[in-house]
This record gives sequence, structure tokens and C-alpha cells, in this order.
Amino acid sequence: MAEDLVLDIKDLVVHYETEDADVCAVNGIDIQISKKRTLGLVGETGAGKTTTALSILNLIPNPPGVIKNGSIHLDGKDILKMSQEDLQKVRGNDVAMIFQDPMTALNPVMTVGEQIGESIMLHQNISKQEAFEKAKEMLKMVGIAESRAYDYPHQFSGGMKQRVVIAIALACSPQLLIADEPTTALDVTIQAQVLELMKQLIQEKEMAMLLITHDLGVVAEVCEDVAVMYAGRIVEKGTADDVFNHMRHPYTEGLFDSLPNLKQRGEQLVPIRGLMPDPSDLPPGCSFAPRCPYATEACTKSIPPLKSVEGSKTHFVACTAYENPDFSLRRNENGK
Amino acid sequence: MIKYIVKRLVMLVPVILVTSFLIFWAMSLTGGDPALMLAGDNAQPEQVEQIREELGLNDPFIVRYANYMKGMVTGDMGKSYVTKRDVFKTFMERLPNTLLLGGTAVVIAVLVSVPLGVYTAIHQNTWKDTAGMIFALFGTSMPNFWLGLMLIIIFSLKLKLLPTGGKGGIDSLILPAVTVGFGLAALITRTTRSSMLDVLRQDYMTTARAKGCSEKRVIFTHGLKNALIPIITAIGLQMSLVITGSVLAETVFSWPGIGRLVYDSISKRDTPMVTGSIIMCSILMCIINLVVDLIYAFFDPRIRAQYSKKG
Amino acid sequence: MAQTNSTGNTKHVKKRTMLQETWRHLIRNRGAVLGMLFLLFLVGAALFSPLIFDYEKDVIGQNMQDRLMAPCAAHWFGTDEFGRDLFARVIYGARYSLIIGVGSVFLGLIVGTILGSQAGFRGGVVDSIIMRGIDIFYSIPNIMTAVVIVSLLGTSTVNLMIALAFSCASSFARIVRASVMTIRDQEYVESSYAMGLPTWKIIVKHILPNCLSPIIVQITLLIGTTIISASSLSFLGIGVPAPAPEWGALLSAGRGHIRDASYMCIIPGLAIMMTVLALNLLGDGLRDALDPKLKK
Repeated sequence: MAEDLVLDIKDLVVHYETEDADVCAVNGIDIQISKKRTLGLVGETGAGKTTTALSILNLIPNPPGVIKNGSIHLDGKDILKMSQEDLQKVRGNDVAMIFQDPMTALNPVMTVGEQIGESIMLHQNISKQEAFEKAKEMLKMVGIAESRAYDYPHQFSGGMKQRVVIAIALACSPQLLIADEPTTALDVTIQAQVLELMKQLIQEKEMAMLLITHDLGVVAEVCEDVAVMYAGRIVEKGTADDVFNHMRHPYTEGLFDSLPNLKQRGEQLVPIRGLMPDPSDLPPGCSFAPRCPYATEACTKSIPPLKSVEGSKTHFVACTAYENPDFSLRRNENGK
Repeated sequence: MIKYIVKRLVMLVPVILVTSFLIFWAMSLTGGDPALMLAGDNAQPEQVEQIREELGLNDPFIVRYANYMKGMVTGDMGKSYVTKRDVFKTFMERLPNTLLLGGTAVVIAVLVSVPLGVYTAIHQNTWKDTAGMIFALFGTSMPNFWLGLMLIIIFSLKLKLLPTGGKGGIDSLILPAVTVGFGLAALITRTTRSSMLDVLRQDYMTTARAKGCSEKRVIFTHGLKNALIPIITAIGLQMSLVITGSVLAETVFSWPGIGRLVYDSISKRDTPMVTGSIIMCSILMCIINLVVDLIYAFFDPRIRAQYSKKG
Repeated sequence: MAQTNSTGNTKHVKKRTMLQETWRHLIRNRGAVLGMLFLLFLVGAALFSPLIFDYEKDVIGQNMQDRLMAPCAAHWFGTDEFGRDLFARVIYGARYSLIIGVGSVFLGLIVGTILGSQAGFRGGVVDSIIMRGIDIFYSIPNIMTAVVIVSLLGTSTVNLMIALAFSCASSFARIVRASVMTIRDQEYVESSYAMGLPTWKIIVKHILPNCLSPIIVQITLLIGTTIISASSLSFLGIGVPAPAPEWGALLSAGRGHIRDASYMCIIPGLAIMMTVLALNLLGDGLRDALDPKLKK
């Protein structure tokens, strides 16, 4: 099992230390991704998803970001203990990242061919010209005419730019692809195209992927495994089937309740009440407790650990309520 | 692109016409009576009248202006009242000296300030940043002719290392160029720093890091190339400061450039020289501005595209 | 911009007016406080110098037996080639520099605001004419403009102010125009139109307050540049006429004695530099204090 892991994050803690406050963005998370698997990391804005993603490349801006604790093993090597030179070899080569906003993720004064080629040139020790030729192939692979390698980002549409970003990320066929909300900034029609492209390329290149999103629909479309993140902690994780069909955490339930259901159009959407807690001032117990409809006195006392769900090897949940064996979520009861 | 350049050059014509008209008009109001000056103190009224007729001073203003412009096209801007030499020729003789001084100053300023600006931006909010910013603050607060005087006191009079003025070898260029370049360096340092700080926050910098670029490559290949546009703008805008600085530095160091020429002509009330020099200076500025715009296009593909469309 | 300042950051902090908020930021900036204190001292010196020194006797009165004395207890800054006390002249000179600096900047501000708001508000041909004019003006080094204007009007303090006001005006016109253009199409401006407010009232009530912060910063910084320009022109002999103790004129006189009395070159320049430095410190501090982006 352990050899199979491409990514193994253990007890990662990341804080942003500013003059005014200590922002606890990520508070002890564990994430494992096996070869060729796709994990969806789901959560609201500000849950610490992007921070997690940047930690994997050791790219947290410091200052103010500080990785306080934990380890990130990539194919057995600890990223956090690497020298700058080794890190540069890993970035773009073993792990690559697709960013949220293709409008700003490309350098406006370099041709897209140069930008794709740069990554190949850096990691494969080939000349700029050869790299440029390979960049053209990459463009073709993401469905853009080779001749456009000489164009600049401002000459591309949003969807096309994201294709270019994908081409940059995949240029060196990394083992792990991190996609940080790759479709959020795109039009809905383009979203599906880009997603389809990513899915296809990942299968072709046999890559593992960490897909970060707040869109459960995207997760359902692409991911085999799902982790739900709330206020810097993983509150539930398991296979897509575990989380979508047998959800255990009240927060996960809340997320699904706020989604429209095509089968029952008459049903009212239930938003999760309240707001995410201020990450510089987290409540002492379960951070979801102040918003949780099932919360009890016990929830505010201690932080619930992630425990495996009875009868499942893959499904984990962090909720105090399950200490009572009779507890079950409203949604699951209705379903039964 | 070439179309654009041609278009810009054509657009220069009305600008030059308007500026030269204004300058010509202003100077013709102030110059006193040139005929009287030329004729000398004990001239007969008939002699004065004759000179007046020869110079066409009795013509109406518009005619004189038209004649002046006609002359200008062929490089004839009249003769100096004082030295009797051709204005255009004198200007052109002096111009290389000013270009040498200004050019050296700009080169020194850029070589110092761009690296310093990048350095302070990377080390934002550290003592290195503060030190750099204090340097820049003093640079912008110092009148540069005073800096020139201080440099003379220190390097020429106390240390006796460099000449106090005049144009000789390369050593005579150092102090005037530093004088002109110092304030410029301070301004460019500030611009580079803020432009770089802005660029450092951009997403494409993270993209570059995520690709595996070394920090050096991220800063210089990806960062500086993007930060350059505001820096070039700043340098372009400061060109008039370079000219102003040159006038003062040339006065302080007796450097035989156009600044010194204008100053001398003003103090001698040599109207054709002043008029001609100022008109030529404004043409020079227009050309510098055009060159700056073209340099933009060289560095920024978006601007390049715009120019081609317009052209 | 200005409106969002006061309401945008009230989560943790007590509600303050924009003025209080800016002041609070400003006094936490050491450089700005230092600058302000020096400027206060300077303004005080300028105001009270006629009470301390007798202009006719101390400032312009010649006293040949004391000529070119190095700084000593009797003459803190030494004396010049006519035996005049340099300390009295430098302190008195602050009046000129401050009056010229402030005067031409405000003159420029008035002209620039009118031009800029007209250009930005009317757009079209008016905008083109005004802005092209300013562009042309901008392309001529301002020392040349000043030379032309001063030789046109003659050398006097007022004429020097007018000459320097020109370049300030173009700088203000650009700022005001840019702000007007962005605010002109905002919905609250359109709604004021719909309510029938006359244009000038909209400009005064809605548009000018919004470009206030860049203008305040620009005023502070431009006073500094203008003081330098004024002294440069006096140094060239086309600024304030002698024997007035303008700092640039003091330097010009000192230049002749650079070998035997270098303090005559050093001290007036230091006065200019410290004044401009104080203004720049204050201007930078104001910029930070007024910039909503930097507020936490």
C-alpha cells in the first residue's frame, strides 16, 4: 500500500503570521493519493485548500506563511526537507500545478510556446528550440493549433488560456497533477470541455491528480476519492461513493443540501447557516460546531479526530456525534 | 509598425509648429530691440533702421514667423547676435556634448537603480529595503546643482581626484554625469521597487516557480520583463529632468553643452540663439518621447499589437 | 474610493471618520512625523523671522569688515562676501521658498483642476485639445518653459511663481482628468444627473472628493519639486532678483567662493534638501495613510 502512494501528507499545519494575527489556514491534515487515482479536495473559499496545494510544491509565500508541522512525501521523498535546487527539480517535473485563474497565470510578455517550452527546457536539458518544438506538440495535445505557439496570452480566450496552463503543467508528464479550481474562472460551457480534456489526459498519461474545488458536480464528474475540508481540517474522506451516497459529516450534508437536485425540483435549498469561523480565531472544539444543526455540548469541548467509519476501510469522518451509535444524518434517514 | 512610426513622425509636425510658434512669439516679445543691440551703442538711427530692414524686423509678426519656419526646414535658424555664428550649426555642435552627458547619466542611473529597485523589492520591509529607500529619498530631495557643488568640494577641491569643470578626458565627465544621474537614479529606484512589488504578487510568478524555475530566473526572466514597462515610462517621463539637470550641471561644471548655450544666450539676451535652442530642445524631447514609445512596443507584445492595429 | 475608506474597515476598529483614520496612520509613520515637525519649525521660522531679524539691517545690510567669516558663535552659519549673516539670510530665505512653493502649487492646482475636470467631464474635442496641449507642454523641459515665461514677464517673485505654476497645472490636470473619467460613469453620478443636479455641483460634490487623496499627496510632493525648481532658476539668475536671500540665489553667490568659503555652498543647499526631504517624507506618509489598499 505505502509504495503505491504518490503523495502522502501527514499532519500538515500551515499558519500565516502577520503583525495583527496568526491565521491558522491548515490545521493538521492527512492526505494520501495512490498512483493513477484522483482525489477531490472539497471545501468553501478560505477552507485552506489552496494553501494545502501550494504546500505540496513548498511554495507557500514566506513571510507570512509558515509550515509549522508535518511532512509531505512525494514518491517517498520529503518535500519539506529538500534543498532549493532539489525542489526546483521536482516542481514542474514530478508535480505540476494548474491554477485557478488562467487570465493571470500566464506571463503576458512571453509567447505561450516559450512558456510551455520553458518547463521542458528546465527539466529535460534540451535547447530552447527543441523545447519550443515539444511545446508545439503539447499545444496540439490540448487542442490548440501548433501555429499559435508564437502568440501571446492576450491573444487567447479564457478557455484557451486554461488549455495552455494545462499544457504547461503536463509538459513534463508529472506523476502528480494539482489542479486548483481549474474551471472556476471559466464559462460553464467551457468548463465541461476543459474538465473532459483533463480527464482524458490524466488517463492517457497515467497521472495521479489532486483536484481542488468547491464544486461538487466537478468532483462527481472526475474524482474517485473525495476529501471534505473545513476550516483547515479534513472532516470527511472516502471514495466518491462513500461521500456522495453515504455521507457522515453534518458539513458534507450541508454542502449537498445547498445544491439543487434535478430529480426533486420542488425541494427547497437549505443553506448552511452562519459563516465560516475566522481562521485567526478558531473555536476550541469542532470548528463546524457553531453552524452545525446537530451540535451538542460535547462538540465544543475537543476537536474530533478523523476516525474510520464502521464497516468501511475507505471512509473516514471527524464527528463527535458518532460516539452515540444511534446517530445518523437527516439526509441518510430520509434516503432509507 | 513602420506605419505607426511614420504616423507618429507626421504627428510631430503640428506639435513642432505649435511649440515653435509659442516660443517664437514669446521670445519676440521679450528680446528687446535686436537692431539696437546689433548696431551698438553709438549707432545712427539710419544704421539701426537699415539693420532692421535687413533682418526683416519691420515685417508683420506672422510673416516673420513664416520666414523663420521656412528657414528652419533648411536648417537656417538665423545668426547669433553676439557671436554672429549660425544658430543651427552652433546648436548642433553643442548637442553631442549634452547627449554624451545626458546619456552617460541615464546609463549610470539605470545601472544603479534597476538592480537596487529589484533588490529592495525582494527584501521588502527589511533593513536592506529601508536603506535603499533612504538613499532614494535623499536622491529625490537634493537639488542636483547643489549635489554638483558638493561633489566639486569633495572630489576636486579636497581630494583633488577629478577636475572641477570643463570638457577634457573621461574624468571630466564623471562628476557632471553623477550630478545629473543621481536624482534620476533615485526616481527610477522607487519606480522599479513599486513596479517589482506589484509584479511579485502576480499569479504568473507562482506559475513560473511551480514550473521549477530557479528564483533568479523567476525574478529576472519573468518578473523584471513585466516590471519594465512602468520603469521605461518613468525613464521617459524623466527625460525632461535630464535636460533640466544638464542645464544646471553644465552651468556648475562649465560643460560646453546646449544647457550652457541656453544659459549664456539668455544672460547675453541673444534672442535668436535662445529661440532656436529652445525650439530644438522641444523637438529633441518629442523624438525622445517617440523612441520611448517604441521601446515600450519592443518589450510589451500587447502594446505592439495595439500599435500595429492603429498603424 | 474615499467613501469606501470610512466604511470598509470597521469590523474590528471603532468607527472613525476618514480624517481621523488617516491621521492615526500618519502619526504612526515616524518619517512623516519627523517631516511634519521640521515643516512646522520652518513655517514658524518663516512667520517669525521678521520679528527676529531686521530685514534692512541683518538680511540685506552690508557689513564689509565681517565678510566671509566662517561659522562661529557670533555668526552660526558664517557671513557672505558682503559680510551679511548667513543664518539670518537662510532663515529669511525660508519665506521665499515656502511662499513660492506653496503659491505656485496652489495656482497650478486651481488651473489644473479646472482644465482636468473639464477635459474629463466633457470628453471629445475639449478633452483632446486640453490634453494635447498639456502633452506638448509636458514635453518641453519645465526649466525651458520657466525661462521663456520669466524672460517674457521679467524677473520677480510673482512671475517665477506663475512660471512654475504651469508645470504644476499640467500634473494636476492629468490626475483630476483620470479620476473624473473613472468616476463619471459610476452609477451614483448618473443618478445625480437623473435627479437633475447641475454639472458643476456634481463635479464639486461627487467627483472632486474622490480625487482628493491623490491630489493631497501630489500637492505635498510638488511643493518639494517646485522649491527645487525655484532655487534652480534663482541659481541660474532668472529667479528671485537680488538681494533677496532666496536659497538658490545664496548658492549662486556661494559658488563664487567655493574654494575659500565652502560653507556658503553647503548650508543653503542643506536647507533646501531638508525642506524637500521633509515634504517628501510627509508626502510618502500621506500616500500610505490615504491608500485604502494598504490599510488592514
